[in-house]
Amino acid sequence: MGKQIAVTGIGVVSPSGIGKRQLWANIKSGRPFIKEITRFDASKYPSHIAGQIDELEKYSNISERLLKKIDAFSHMALIASELALQDAGIDIKKEDPNLVGIFLGNALGGWLYAETELRDMYIEGREGVSPYMASAWFPAAPQGQVSIYYGIKGFSKTVVADRASSLMAIGYARKVLSKDKLNMILAGGMEAPVTPYALLCCNTYGSLSTDNAHPQAAYRPFDKKRSGFVIGEGAGIVVMEGLERVRARGANIQALITGYGATCDGIDRINPASDGKELARAIQIALSDAGIGPEGIDYISLDGIAVGLWDSTEVKAIKSVFGSRAKEIPVSCPKSMFGNLLGASGALDMIITISAMENSLIPPTINLDEPAETGLNYIGKEARPHKINKALIISRGRGGINSALVVEKGA
Amino acid sequence: MKERIREVLSNLLKVKPEELKDDVSLQDSIGVDSTEMVETVIALEKAFGKKLSTKEITKFSSISDIEKVIQSKA
Repeated sequence: MGKQIAVTGIGVVSPSGIGKRQLWANIKSGRPFIKEITRFDASKYPSHIAGQIDELEKYSNISERLLKKIDAFSHMALIASELALQDAGIDIKKEDPNLVGIFLGNALGGWLYAETELRDMYIEGREGVSPYMASAWFPAAPQGQVSIYYGIKGFSKTVVADRASSLMAIGYARKVLSKDKLNMILAGGMEAPVTPYALLCCNTYGSLSTDNAHPQAAYRPFDKKRSGFVIGEGAGIVVMEGLERVRARGANIQALITGYGATCDGIDRINPASDGKELARAIQIALSDAGIGPEGIDYISLDGIAVGLWDSTEVKAIKSVFGSRAKEIPVSCPKSMFGNLLGASGALDMIITISAMENSLIPPTINLDEPAETGLNYIGKEARPHKINKALIISRGRGGINSALVVEKGA
Repeated sequence: MKERIREVLSNLLKVKPEELKDDVSLQDSIGVDSTEMVETVIALEKAFGKKLSTKEITKFSSISDIEKVIQSKA
């Protein structure tokens, strides 16, 4: 059994709101935030709808001098980190910088910056490229920027594992804190895929919904009329600390992270295995790490990318682990409201799950009218009151990356 | 020429012109980093139409030092 690690602060930047209160207010009411892309002319892309965040600078104190050096995904990570630290009541200047770490997940890198600079290189030659290009675009750039901004000097990592990146980063952060190597970690993920090239890559993947005529109804996880997922942008970052320290400083425990498991299917470049066995094993590892059996879980936050093979194997895995309880445990996929944040999706799922536990309310899955795979207790259009003490979060990545996290209600 | 240099640097680095003192190095006044220096040299080359090397203009240069280098290229 692993150690219990506390979540003491939450920072979130999402299409459904900035900050955990605004996010939860929108999620619990089932408000949809997927719209036609307006940042650039995306009309020729097969899928040109997304969950977008407009006027990011309104929410940040980042100087213009820094903003010109970083991509939007680093900007989102900086805002989410600041919100998380404020929420945790931590003055980072008073921390021992050697004992603070940062673990973030990202799938694509910062393409808005990269694309612009590469265009300039082909038009103006090498002198047209900003010297910040090298440090702005790559997936670990936000980790670096947040570290520099706060002077964080402890053991840190960026996890790149497609859509499972941020849940894995949180899992790793817990492992490191369990060994008492650090005092606190900022953990989560960020993604900014609403750019011409990143959107093209996501389209090429072939799993995006092309129901552009109905943006709010396009993302339909587990529904008979599902047509793939819709991308979204944003960041979710939390403050994680060991229990002794949290109690010593009298901080509020918003949730405990008590179990984590990860496995790989290892059979295909794109698709998961059709039997869901490795996902089931990841869930089992997470449950046993948390020291609980299948009867201990009160809610499951689903990965749900609204693609037949992925949804059906997720359901298979849940049924195989939870047996007859599978039809009782409420399950939902709230990202249907704001889009799949790819490398940040797991972090958002965890943040929403923590709010759900606090409020004893299961968040809805909008657009799930008629389940394609039956036998689970899907929570559809409307949120449902339900006491949650322990929840499971599932996050999966391309090629069969499986990760599962167990969170428990805070004190 | 000092004012022109100050204007180029303040636009480029997004700092207020008054933060850039004539005789204080860019490192000491605004904590300029090495990447910003690469950008600075490129911007000065464009503004003054002269080829400069990053060795000639370091982060320990002040506005007055930069002026001397550019004048020496006349």
